[in-house]
Amino acid sequence: MTAAFYPTASELGGRVEDPRLLSGKGRFVDDLKFEGQAYMGIVRSPYAHARIRRISFSKVRSSSDFVAALTGEDLIKRRVTTNSQNQWPPQKPAKRYHLAVDKARFTGEPVAAILVRRKNSLEDLIEQVEVEYDPLPVVTTIEESKKGNTLIYEDWSDNISQSNNVKWGDAEKAIASAPYVITAKEGIARQESAPIEPRSTLVRYKKEEDAYEVYATVQSVHGLREQLASELQTPEEKFHVKVMDMGGGFGSKGSESYPEPLLACLFSRQTDLPVKWTATRTEEFLEAASGRDEYCNLALACDKDGKIVALKADVECDVGVTGTQNHMSELSLWTMLGPYRIPNVDLRLRVYATNKMPIGPVRGAGAPEGCYFIERAMNIMAQKIGIDPLELRRRNLTAEKQGKSSSKADYIRLIDDLIKHSRYGELLEWKKEVNSKFKQPGALHSNLVAGLGVSIRGGGGFGGDDHGGSSEGEETENDEWSSGGGTGTEVNLADLDFTSEYARVSLERNGRVTVYTGSSPHGQGEETTFAQLASEALGVPLDKIAVVWGDSVLVPYGVGTFGSRSAATGGSAVVDACRKLRVKLFVKASEITGIESNALDIRGGRLVDKSHPNLKLPSLMEILERLGLAEISEESTYRLGSMDYSTGVHLCALTLDVGLGKVRIEKYIVVEDCGRMINKTIVEGQLHGGVMHAVGGALFEKLAYDDQGNLLTSTFMDYSIPRAPDSPNIEVFHEVTPSTVSLNGAKGVGESGTNAGYAAVINALNDALSNVFPGAQVNVAPATPDAIFAALQSP
Amino acid sequence: MVNDREFSREVEPRTLLIDFLRDDLNLTGTHIGCDTGHCGACTIIMNGKAVKSCMVLAVQAQGAEILTVEGLAKDQKLHWVQEAFMQNHGLQCGFCTPGMLMSALFLLERNPRPTEEEIRRALGGNLCRCTGYVNVVKSVQAASRALSEGREN
Amino acid sequence: MIPKKFDYYAPTSLTETIQLLSENEGARLLAGGQSLLGLMKLRLAAPTALVDISKLPGLSYVREDRDHLSIGALTTHDTIEHNSTIQEKFMILSEAASKIGDQQTRNLGTIGGSACHADPAADLPTVLRVLDAGFVMQGRKGERIVPAQDLFVDMFTTAVGHGEVLTEIRLPYLPPTSASAYMKHSLRENDVAIVLAGTVLTVGDGNMCRDARIGLGAAGPIPLRATTAEQYLKDRILDEATLKEGAQRAVEGANPPSDMHGSKRYKLEVLKVLTNRSLSLSLSRIKSCGM
Repeated sequence: MTAAFYPTASELGGRVEDPRLLSGKGRFVDDLKFEGQAYMGIVRSPYAHARIRRISFSKVRSSSDFVAALTGEDLIKRRVTTNSQNQWPPQKPAKRYHLAVDKARFTGEPVAAILVRRKNSLEDLIEQVEVEYDPLPVVTTIEESKKGNTLIYEDWSDNISQSNNVKWGDAEKAIASAPYVITAKEGIARQESAPIEPRSTLVRYKKEEDAYEVYATVQSVHGLREQLASELQTPEEKFHVKVMDMGGGFGSKGSESYPEPLLACLFSRQTDLPVKWTATRTEEFLEAASGRDEYCNLALACDKDGKIVALKADVECDVGVTGTQNHMSELSLWTMLGPYRIPNVDLRLRVYATNKMPIGPVRGAGAPEGCYFIERAMNIMAQKIGIDPLELRRRNLTAEKQGKSSSKADYIRLIDDLIKHSRYGELLEWKKEVNSKFKQPGALHSNLVAGLGVSIRGGGGFGGDDHGGSSEGEETENDEWSSGGGTGTEVNLADLDFTSEYARVSLERNGRVTVYTGSSPHGQGEETTFAQLASEALGVPLDKIAVVWGDSVLVPYGVGTFGSRSAATGGSAVVDACRKLRVKLFVKASEITGIESNALDIRGGRLVDKSHPNLKLPSLMEILERLGLAEISEESTYRLGSMDYSTGVHLCALTLDVGLGKVRIEKYIVVEDCGRMINKTIVEGQLHGGVMHAVGGALFEKLAYDDQGNLLTSTFMDYSIPRAPDSPNIEVFHEVTPSTVSLNGAKGVGESGTNAGYAAVINALNDALSNVFPGAQVNVAPATPDAIFAALQSP
Repeated sequence: MVNDREFSREVEPRTLLIDFLRDDLNLTGTHIGCDTGHCGACTIIMNGKAVKSCMVLAVQAQGAEILTVEGLAKDQKLHWVQEAFMQNHGLQCGFCTPGMLMSALFLLERNPRPTEEEIRRALGGNLCRCTGYVNVVKSVQAASRALSEGREN
Repeated sequence: MIPKKFDYYAPTSLTETIQLLSENEGARLLAGGQSLLGLMKLRLAAPTALVDISKLPGLSYVREDRDHLSIGALTTHDTIEHNSTIQEKFMILSEAASKIGDQQTRNLGTIGGSACHADPAADLPTVLRVLDAGFVMQGRKGERIVPAQDLFVDMFTTAVGHGEVLTEIRLPYLPPTSASAYMKHSLRENDVAIVLAGTVLTVGDGNMCRDARIGLGAAGPIPLRATTAEQYLKDRILDEATLKEGAQRAVEGANPPSDMHGSKRYKLEVLKVLTNRSLSLSLSRIKSCGM
């Protein structure tokens, strides 16, 4: 009988990775050192848009610390291709070299690179590289980009990087005749991942093998391997890419192809020296792929019963010099459909290029945006109709399954749980009480209003499952979790996509098991959770299992950790490999013991005859010995085929000090469903962090530019991620609707908190504002005090 | 003195203490997360005070007593603060963790029974992007309880 | 992240310090370093020499002298926050110190350093201005005392002369029926102020205002004393209406810059709110002392 939940991290006494991380024995890339290593520095454009007339290293060459230099022209000479990552359809391919060629397109864009001997002299020498620029007109807003007077890419006819449409029915007609129509201008400013560890890389070129040993802070070693191979036009097997511990990624260390690992490879090869580079925080702000910067003009229409009849929206995204986000902006369209039945839909997305750093996936990568747009709209609609926001949602939940496993009944359950755990009635009373004491502005004393806000993260992904149909869905049955069905298949390596992952599980002669995974944990705890999965799937005790990742040789294939996939995809691959290993093992054991394969089991690491459990059979180690094997293993390249996202319902209760425009979150509750939880403590940790990321985005964070395209927020002083004193406690409750797609019943959960978080906070804020005067609204995040002040100016 | 060991080195005046610890003494447990002294990942205890080692010149540590995260565990046994973090999932990626531990230790040595507000305030100089601080606060509360229980014994 | 090169001196006496400063044109004092090193790491400041006085003995103290409280220039923010005499007699100062940055910064940062750095948005300069502090300097020509109204010349510029060292800050005691309060508006707790206000009230029978002092920070290049408002409040009964009017008048001389945190108009509105709340809090503190 399998437990409904695995032991939590608390019950285990901690995670496997904890002792070394707590003792300062983590191995982050910047911790690594090679004898004789040289240090790379990047010369960056101080202009947002400028032609590069001349680059001179003459001053810098006179220093005894100087080793070598590179420019964009050098890259072309060495047949390095342009950035491989902004070529994915449906975006317009954008030709940009890793060191700017001809012109710089954003402040901070790398223009040259130097290699120096001593770390202390690096910044001195960067300053001595002379670059002459001819500034060009700067495009810093979507409006300017639309005009097309200045082109970011001169081989494009305009600045539109991508267009997408999602359409069915006749939204315009439905809106025209609907009794309830609301419109809203919503948006989320440019924000970023801001992991506390800056990017870093250490490369050692090995002359004898003509190969590269590359350490880099990446969420996928295989992804980087592919990028380097493609851009350096060198076979993949020449790159041994590694990462051990990594200080967070949240997308920014994911798919974007950054110049530095490639440049380090070039330098190392050229000089035979190991090359180290670590970003300063300023460089992180200037260059690391940022996200959001998406705005929506929408209309939502309901019939007299409050049932949605149409959603029409114009969505615009500022994607900077383009990157890997375009793809995710499309996801925001699908996420805008929420878990609702919407018979008429007309969504239009245009993605514009500007003179800002590239946009890439930032925790949620399109889903927080889409979820925010619809969930904010739902609250505005609820207010218009005059019904409770949760009631409006109940009326509109689609009967179809969301993301393959969550049905209307599941959502109702989440909402009911939320009402129960939040003590919703008491919160309404609290709100009433606070608001009754509010005195109109002008009183100049501590003046609080309170608000409640809710939001739902629908379970759909691309393709937006089942929003338009009308047939009733089936109820999910929580049956045998341990033999979770799963609907995926084994695929060829070439077909490894983001719904798949690789794993190899090997049993060694010393009785230990090693799980090799293509996932790449950086805080999510897979070193523990995958061991837990393998322990259950194999029947071997947890302490005999080690997890290996982040090495493109030890783990020859993989996709990586991003997009809330690992538990589902990586986990499924682990389970699949374990099952296959058991089959293989039992066939061999059957030959040796004479017992039928299907009568065999492994329990507590011992081989067991299920019908005679007390019979002493040869140990697994003995079996291996008899077979003359050092180890026995099986691989899995498992593809789910579709992604199954977590769902959740969030509630935020806050007070607003009207005199100052300052928000204080008093309570934040999540009822989430990520399927079967491999480790409940870890799931909750992911929710805490995810929600806090959204709180920061809703209230504090903004990458701000002046009209010359200079980034005004390039330190942690100016770019305000939440700190402990500003952060609310987050309570997490759970429902479990096991995924029918993954083999372990789990759905990914890394981004869930962020996806629904923005709307919960902004809805609560607007609920509070409505007590000051009706119609006072802030619909663009972050809702900073001055934005709140502005909203309160116009009665 | 760093973690009860004496070191003697020559450094350029502009060498930051954090770089000295990481590069010269190979104590890479303390981390660098920013350039301006706002992230707190570099927090150590110097002469009994939690300080950001990126905002101190190595030369200023002349004659100082320094404790870094590597000096917490003794004989393979985790320090009670580390234990509390481990039991309460007070870390995820672990990058901000050494600094967090130091700030927590400084707080608890001055104020063994802090309120939640006091804990959050004490950790205001340590940025974390993974945990949302929820379990970090729980860990410090657990450490505070462990300290009380230890004292009673 | 790494500063430009500089020479480093660690003098062991004040005399030596003064000599080093006098002889090195581009030299700067290093006390807590929490402001200066930050600038140097970003290469926004590049002194050719640092004269490190952080370990100079005898400059960290809080001493009750006859007419004033004397605070050594190297006294840390953390000490000031928790000092019971300061909490009792100059609550505004303890509060302001508590709202500086974070614990690590307060452990090293000093009151002298903050005063000499003269960041218009910093917490202490405006408070010292409101408290009419006297600044004791030592130089080649001996000792002189600079009053707060003359110390702050421009943003990041003070009247500390070449070769001079600030050694002590003197706070004249407030009359018995007085209280003070500090208010700061920032995006996150303890962030650099968007605007700030500090007030001191001395009150007689029936809430008759004997003296009012209002200091505004991040409202111009140097700390501002809202003298018009102070005049208005003096000899008036303090109640909700007069405090509101006082706050309104207080911001009339203020000139906070429009920036990414908000427009000037927004900041003036917030300053009004802060001033009013600070005045109310000061008043309630007098009442609560049963005076």
